[in-house]
Amino acid sequence: MKRVDFYYSTKLTFDDYVHDHSFALRIIPLGTDTQKILSCDLNITPYVSVKQTVDAFGNNVTAGYLKGDHRFLDFEIKGTAEVDNTRHRIDFLPCYLYQSQYTHPDEMLYTFYNDIKTECTGTVRDRAEYICNMLSDHFRYEQGNTDTSTTAAQAFLKGKGVCQDFSHILIALLRMDGIAARYIAGLAFCDGETHSWVEYWTGDHWESIDPANNCPVNDDYIVLSQGRDFRDCSIDRGVMFGRHTKQLQLVRSVLS
Amino acid sequence: MTEFDHENFMQAIGNADEINELLRRYGVKFGIYKNGVFNEQFFPFDPIPRVISSEDFSGIEKGLVQRVNALNEFLFDIYHDKNIVRDGIIPEDFIYISKGYLAECEGITPKNRVYSHISGIDLVQAKEGEWYILEDNLRIPSGASYPLIARELTRIAAPQAFSENSIVDNRGYAELLKETMEYSNCGGIRAILTPGRYNAAYFEHSYLAEHTGSVLVQNDELFVEDNILYQRTYSGSKTRIGVLYRRIADEYLDPLTFLPESLIGIPNLMEAYRSGNVGIVNAPGNGVADDKGIYYFVPKMIKYYLGEEPILKNAPTYLPFYEEDMKYVMDNLDRLVIKDVAEAGGYGVVFGSDLSKEKLEEFRKTIIAEPRRFIAQEVIDFLDLPILDNGETVMRKADLRAFVLTGEKTKVWASGLTRFSRNPDSFVVNSSQGGGFKDTWVLSR
Repeated sequence: MKRVDFYYSTKLTFDDYVHDHSFALRIIPLGTDTQKILSCDLNITPYVSVKQTVDAFGNNVTAGYLKGDHRFLDFEIKGTAEVDNTRHRIDFLPCYLYQSQYTHPDEMLYTFYNDIKTECTGTVRDRAEYICNMLSDHFRYEQGNTDTSTTAAQAFLKGKGVCQDFSHILIALLRMDGIAARYIAGLAFCDGETHSWVEYWTGDHWESIDPANNCPVNDDYIVLSQGRDFRDCSIDRGVMFGRHTKQLQLVRSVLS
Repeated sequence: MTEFDHENFMQAIGNADEINELLRRYGVKFGIYKNGVFNEQFFPFDPIPRVISSEDFSGIEKGLVQRVNALNEFLFDIYHDKNIVRDGIIPEDFIYISKGYLAECEGITPKNRVYSHISGIDLVQAKEGEWYILEDNLRIPSGASYPLIARELTRIAAPQAFSENSIVDNRGYAELLKETMEYSNCGGIRAILTPGRYNAAYFEHSYLAEHTGSVLVQNDELFVEDNILYQRTYSGSKTRIGVLYRRIADEYLDPLTFLPESLIGIPNLMEAYRSGNVGIVNAPGNGVADDKGIYYFVPKMIKYYLGEEPILKNAPTYLPFYEEDMKYVMDNLDRLVIKDVAEAGGYGVVFGSDLSKEKLEEFRKTIIAEPRRFIAQEVIDFLDLPILDNGETVMRKADLRAFVLTGEKTKVWASGLTRFSRNPDSFVVNSSQGGGFKDTWVLSR
């Protein structure tokens, strides 16, 4: 068990005024069996009234609507959590067993899976770790090749990508192997921005694995959201009107 | 049927031209996309009504109420405990591979647990008189306004027909729809959301809004604030919407939950809905229940949820997913009708008898490669109905879309949209495939 202070902020800046800006944020960490949220403050500027709901995947959603003209939207969370990964989470949905928008495999991913599947034996944990090792051997961490819209198949073709790509490919492979898997977005000690990793279902609980670092997940990770893939875990989604052509996003996260 | 005197009616009504001219003048149109171009076509009306006896209708009515109630139970179950899967009645794959299943809707309970408020159930009558269910439409079934307006115009053109026959008045549809919307109203005005005038059913959206006393809205006048849906008014004030009869597909409803590129949706509508602040008619996620693959399981659902025997039968259906059915399908492909479960509107329907030997072999391979994608059905020998073709009466295939509305109770509208194929050799009657329509008269005695 570990007590962790977390901080996360996003600054959205537009090059012209925007208005009628609706947004949905998934930044308030989940209170779960493995992480107890002792405190969490959310600040949004300019001031806007917001409402909280919990979505289908168990995420805290903060929804708001900023009507008037504005050129920026900043939001930050600050809080303390008690993390204990020796405990287990059991909130299952069958959809995690099926490929989703970002994870649909192509020929190349199928071939890769077929090549490794004979060696992929043992318990669910053995298989998941084996697949993660194989992925780690064949896929390289390198920024600047992929973006948030890149699918598992597209990233795999490039042979390199970031944590989101590692997670999508691992999820695709696990699901091909009949193991239910979900995408986790969160904060980790090793990262200056946000991090992503994977949970797989052993049959009675979730286990976490960090494919980008090919290591187990310890108490230095804070879960912000979870879902079938990145689509369900976007930290901020928004729709706005205006003549802006660019939006700049600055993200910072700290765990201590 | 014997109570209705056809000849007498035909004399009274004269020729379809007058009514078709009235329809044209009223602007009853049906838009279709062909090769990417939007054409607003006139949806041809045939003046000879389909007549359903009171006895026949009461059987259909009971069967439809039973079916829709079971489908509503199914939707609640799938988005909550999933008992029907756990108990092995429906294989899991059929639920989660279905494009209509929306994981985003997990755990949402719409007001009063109604998911399918307006169900369009397509039936055909076989030559021997028995009715069969062809498919369920639980998303946004269209077409109710056509028989309404056709009836109105026929009444003008041939008033005698209505004094001489005891026909159930179908003008109650608007009242029924209003009742249904009110039952799911979470506090506010009623609104009908249209994607705009280039939609195939725009005529119907405006017609229904007018007749139910709802406002007809487009997304640019709506917004969600504090998880409440509002309509912006010209004066700058806002009006709360309590129930939204949306005529746009699930994927486009909310760009912050579904397709981010949707320009016709309302951001955070799903948050308002999940919070119980607005009713959405029909509920998002209903597509999992009217999937062509799920159709096969509806009679099993009726037994499972209601403990009753199905009153109306499905057309005999085979799922190549099951080995035994695959064998049957392979042995009889040349005389079955095969439907692609992902398609709608009469697209993706193939009659084995229409295929050449090579095409048949090719198709066989496709089915073996993707068994979950197809269902196969026996071709039902539909009862032909008379239609007027250049002044002559000819016989054509026709189906019936019955409208079943669920408010406090589930009710069947005593009318419906009868669609016919204008092509003598075709069984496909969908309006998007160039068919025509008839009014449907239910006799009151």
